[in-house]
Amino acid sequence: MQSLHNHRLSCGAMLLGESMPEIESAALAIFTPSGAIHDPPHGCGVAAVAGELMFRGAGDRSGRKLIDDLEDLGAHWSQSVSTSHSLFSGAMLAKHLPAVLPIYADIIRRPELPFGQFDQVRDMILHELRASEDAPAHRLFTALRSSYYPDPWGRPAEGISKEVESLSIDDIRQHVARHVQPTGTLIAVAGRIDWPQVVDQMESLFADWHSTKATSPSETGTRGATSGHIYHESQQTHMGLMWAAPPYSNEHSYEASAAIAILGGGMSSRLFLEVRERRGLCYSVSAGYQTHRTMGAAVCYSGTSAARSQETLDVILAEIQRLPQGIQQEELDRVKARATSSLVMQQESVGSRAASMARQWYHLERVMPLEEELARINRISCASIESWLSLNPPTDLTVFSLGEKALEVPSAVSA
Amino acid sequence: MQFLREVLPNGLEIIAEITPSAISTSIGFFVKTGARDETPHEAGVSHFLEHMVFKGTESMTGEEINRRFDDIGAAANAFTSEEYTVYHAAVLPQQQRTTVELLAPLMRPALRESDFITEKLVILEEIRMYDDQPPFGADDRCRAAFFGSHPLASSVLGTVESIEALPVELMRDYHRRRYSPTNVVLVASGAVHFDDLVQSGKSLCGHWEPVDAPRRTLPAEPHGGLQNIVRTSAAQTYMVRFSSGPDGSHPLRHAAMLLANVLGDDSGSRLYWELIDSGEAEHAECHYHEYLDAGVFVTQVGCAPEDAADVQKRIEEIYARAMKHGIEPAELERARNKIATRVAMAGERPRQRLFQVGLEWSHSGRYRSASDDLTLVEQLTMNDIELVMATWPLDRLAMTLIAGPSGETVRRPFSSDGS
Repeated sequence: MQSLHNHRLSCGAMLLGESMPEIESAALAIFTPSGAIHDPPHGCGVAAVAGELMFRGAGDRSGRKLIDDLEDLGAHWSQSVSTSHSLFSGAMLAKHLPAVLPIYADIIRRPELPFGQFDQVRDMILHELRASEDAPAHRLFTALRSSYYPDPWGRPAEGISKEVESLSIDDIRQHVARHVQPTGTLIAVAGRIDWPQVVDQMESLFADWHSTKATSPSETGTRGATSGHIYHESQQTHMGLMWAAPPYSNEHSYEASAAIAILGGGMSSRLFLEVRERRGLCYSVSAGYQTHRTMGAAVCYSGTSAARSQETLDVILAEIQRLPQGIQQEELDRVKARATSSLVMQQESVGSRAASMARQWYHLERVMPLEEELARINRISCASIESWLSLNPPTDLTVFSLGEKALEVPSAVSA
Repeated sequence: MQFLREVLPNGLEIIAEITPSAISTSIGFFVKTGARDETPHEAGVSHFLEHMVFKGTESMTGEEINRRFDDIGAAANAFTSEEYTVYHAAVLPQQQRTTVELLAPLMRPALRESDFITEKLVILEEIRMYDDQPPFGADDRCRAAFFGSHPLASSVLGTVESIEALPVELMRDYHRRRYSPTNVVLVASGAVHFDDLVQSGKSLCGHWEPVDAPRRTLPAEPHGGLQNIVRTSAAQTYMVRFSSGPDGSHPLRHAAMLLANVLGDDSGSRLYWELIDSGEAEHAECHYHEYLDAGVFVTQVGCAPEDAADVQKRIEEIYARAMKHGIEPAELERARNKIATRVAMAGERPRQRLFQVGLEWSHSGRYRSASDDLTLVEQLTMNDIELVMATWPLDRLAMTLIAGPSGETVRRPFSSDGS
């Protein structure tokens, strides 16, 4: 039986926990509501620079001392930025958690944001952006997402080079002061934890943290083109397709997610069998589900030699269009079996559990116990998927390609 | 935690690390064959064969196999390296028997010519995919240049030419020679029912005929030097650098892993503080890899093309300084703590233990629990690290491959043969 806990800290941030007594380690994940949607116009990359700069000294520790102290405790730390949040996470032996928490509290509440480190951090982000230009699939999806989602929800969380170049330390300091705040912050701990002790310690570390008035932008901004091509010198042409799916909080999200998995999840999915196994058209082909708070999407990807890429796209489109024609029981059974074992096995990873609890709280304002989630998966039927597909057929696709030659996208699929 | 072993009359070994409280069970067939066991005409066959295994047996098509793995919710996959080909699946414990029933027959694949022709196209796409990505083949080229005529020079993927020219008969012959039961270990970890595993092994693999599957090992004679790959469209420059370390049976191999962590872990290491934190390079890491008859320290770096010469010089300086002045006790302690966390967390996941237990056993015929690993790391001393640096100095013979938009911005690294 799972042992889940939650506690609203007096500052307003939400503290979530899962005690896993069989395990020696513990993980911490802090999501602050300071993601890329808050980057100012022409300042795409503020959140990315801010996240990195927050690790460069906090409280009475210099950047070097901060990381040395974490690593002396054997803590594996990481920091990243998504569309909606900044994520600060750490994994360690459980006995070190009480010593690690105050360091993270300093990073969140008392970052120095030193001017002396600003140029180095900006260079670091610019290096990462330059590296991503060499990664074909990454380039493709940056363009596809920014066209598909209403602005600013499709903005690249890692920034845009020419905008990062023009940032100043004041942009970063303003962002942190305004958006790294208790309202909307989710702190999750999982592993061998002593929950009452964690609550006491977190209350003392965060009690006097104050909220600002910042809110998230709406998800109704303008969208970009529904098709496009990016020139890239390469042997392969890469293609990415997106279409609408409900957000995770929607009552039909499991049906949508199952339909997408039948299409392109796992080694027995329709796309894997038809495109790769039967026709040998490519090495990679898949489809998956992703979600923001009020909108989700189906995302499909493949990459193959330029000469065979049009055929690959045509076969993928045919499979997508065939989806509403019906689902076989055995296809659904396989998707359920995969989802069930992957959910159960998530219990072996403290890091996955911490992040997953925080994500569920963001979408549902509660953490769904494993048993309930398994029951929800079990309730999906062919009829419930087909009924959802009949009302929400995959139309209005956004299709992008990247390579030396553009692909033809039939006008019927891309409105 | 319990370790059990059984050997079938035909030579197949069955081993398991059993954690009764685990949530999952992982099962794998570890075949002691890889790129190093290929002749030049067979270049890439081990990896191609790994794909073909999933195309089915005489009584089961590839599609059926894919479906049946998904039926039981298995996270199934395979990989090929220079020395091993591993087929593995993670499942819920009640699926143990079904999983072995699925995996075992795959070790005797049909290798149908029609499947071979289709799958060849997939392999060629995989080669092109990697060739389009950083480090643009610098890793394979560096390995080949460093090892010269040694078997470890071989590329796992092979080349477009070697794969296009490969006939199915050569693959069938390679399979017959290398997939002998004496050359295969059935490994399980997590919540394992051992008696049942042995029973499955006997009934499914007991009839496999053993053949002699020798492996050529010989001392490596590494080469140093500097080579370029020009990719005019590349946004960054990528460096791959090989230098020698202890081989996989050397008592100092754990000290070598610790040294690589101090010098080039992805955070808090010397390369991190001097090149990443300072914003000079995008990534810079050093890892130690062990093989049967060789060991290597592999350094991988990405940076702006205009900084490539300086970054390369800095790396040589960082290594030269470490070799001359040694490392600080605090650095050793920090690396030890980081590795301890990694070992403990891996110990909680049967999927990760499968690879650690299976590869160690295939390599050395020895078993070490996660806590044995922790003890080993805890017992390493500064003296061990110093011995590694004295015996395999990172600032001596090194092969560096640089892939980037221009071939002109690089300086010659320290190397004794100056090639």
